[in-house]
Amino acid sequence: MDPVTILTLAQTVIAQNGDQAAAAAISGKDIIQAGALIGAGICMGFGAIGPGIGEGFAAGKACEAIGRAPEEAGLLTRTMLIGQAVSESTGIYSLVVALLMLFVIV
Amino acid sequence: MDIAPETWNFIGRFVGAAFALGLGGIGAAVGMGMAAAEANRGMMRQPSRHSDLLRTMLLGQAVGGSPSIFALVVGLLILFLPVNEATSGAVFASTLIGAGLAVGLGCFGSGIGCGLPALAACQGVARNPEKSTALTTTMMIGQALAQSPSIFATIIALMLLFLPIPGVGLASIGIAIGAGISMGASALGPGIGSGMTAGGAVRGQSNWPASRPVTVRTMLIAQAICDTPAIFGMLVAFIMLFTLQDLEPTIIGFSQTFAAAIAVGVGGIGPGIGCGAVGDTSCEATANEPKNDALMLRTMLIGQAVSQSTAIYALIIALVILFVV
Repeated sequence: MDPVTILTLAQTVIAQNGDQAAAAAISGKDIIQAGALIGAGICMGFGAIGPGIGEGFAAGKACEAIGRAPEEAGLLTRTMLIGQAVSESTGIYSLVVALLMLFVIV
Repeated sequence: MDIAPETWNFIGRFVGAAFALGLGGIGAAVGMGMAAAEANRGMMRQPSRHSDLLRTMLLGQAVGGSPSIFALVVGLLILFLPVNEATSGAVFASTLIGAGLAVGLGCFGSGIGCGLPALAACQGVARNPEKSTALTTTMMIGQALAQSPSIFATIIALMLLFLPIPGVGLASIGIAIGAGISMGASALGPGIGSGMTAGGAVRGQSNWPASRPVTVRTMLIAQAICDTPAIFGMLVAFIMLFTLQDLEPTIIGFSQTFAAAIAVGVGGIGPGIGCGAVGDTSCEATANEPKNDALMLRTMLIGQAVSQSTAIYALIIALVILFVV
């Protein structure tokens, strides 16, 4: 869909709600801002799923290993934290991209 | 093409009730099925102890079925709630759809979560029938806590149905659907995660019954932390319902609430399940070696705190979307 179609569609939906003035006032800039806001929300929301589950599995296995070999707790905790920090990276990419959409594009 | 307010009200009732019952029924059905499957397997191995197994299975299913009952109650309310004349039309329809999304998604997670401890308890009773009372008690404590995200979701759904929604026009539509998504989706992960933790604790207790007190303590702490993303979702839903009176009634206001809801709601799923995976293994390891419980608790808390970080990023982004941009 080209931007003009999206604009017309949005104006039609809002006009249906009985708000003719708001429908007339809607501009292409508003559509871009709305898109950036929703994009930032989807980016951070879905981007948080993977790191959350992945870090949980890393920590779960670390707990299991410490249960079996408590004398190696220091080494295992260090390895767990390094693994989690690496899993975290995609979550941080999502955060950065979401902030870019919110503060650079809007 | 104009849609009359009465048509909007019917659209809201049907779509909202479908979300509530359609999504809310899945979790409890899967959870109860897992308990029944494991009870059957246990009876095959130990036919003489079938009455113990049947009791544990039925208790687990009765408690595990309650999220779907919350969904049924809210679904019936959505279908038969008297029309609010002030908001009749698209706004009333969106409050019904928001309530349906909140309770549907919220009960999905808790239903699966309640099934996991019931499964572990049936497994444990089949192996060790003389310990069935203690195991069933731990199972029910775990299930009760795994249900708290679905209770939060039910509260938000009832607030959406019975309290006035702030704002006008598109802003109200955004707030109603946004509060529903942020609460419902964020309760999904914690419900499953809390259940995974309870499952690990019940499994640990069935293998090492002597370390029950310390196992239950670790389980309670881990489940409380698993529920944090659901609390973030509830916080954002409360913010939307009570503080956004001056939201712009334009497409910008709508996309602000919708985007914040997707961020904090969907962002809570992963951390909830991840914290549950940590709780699962740490409860089992604590039951195995109760003398290492302080070390295990420390590692578990560090692991859960790090898994939680993306939920905190999601909360920050949601608040930035609502209040800064």
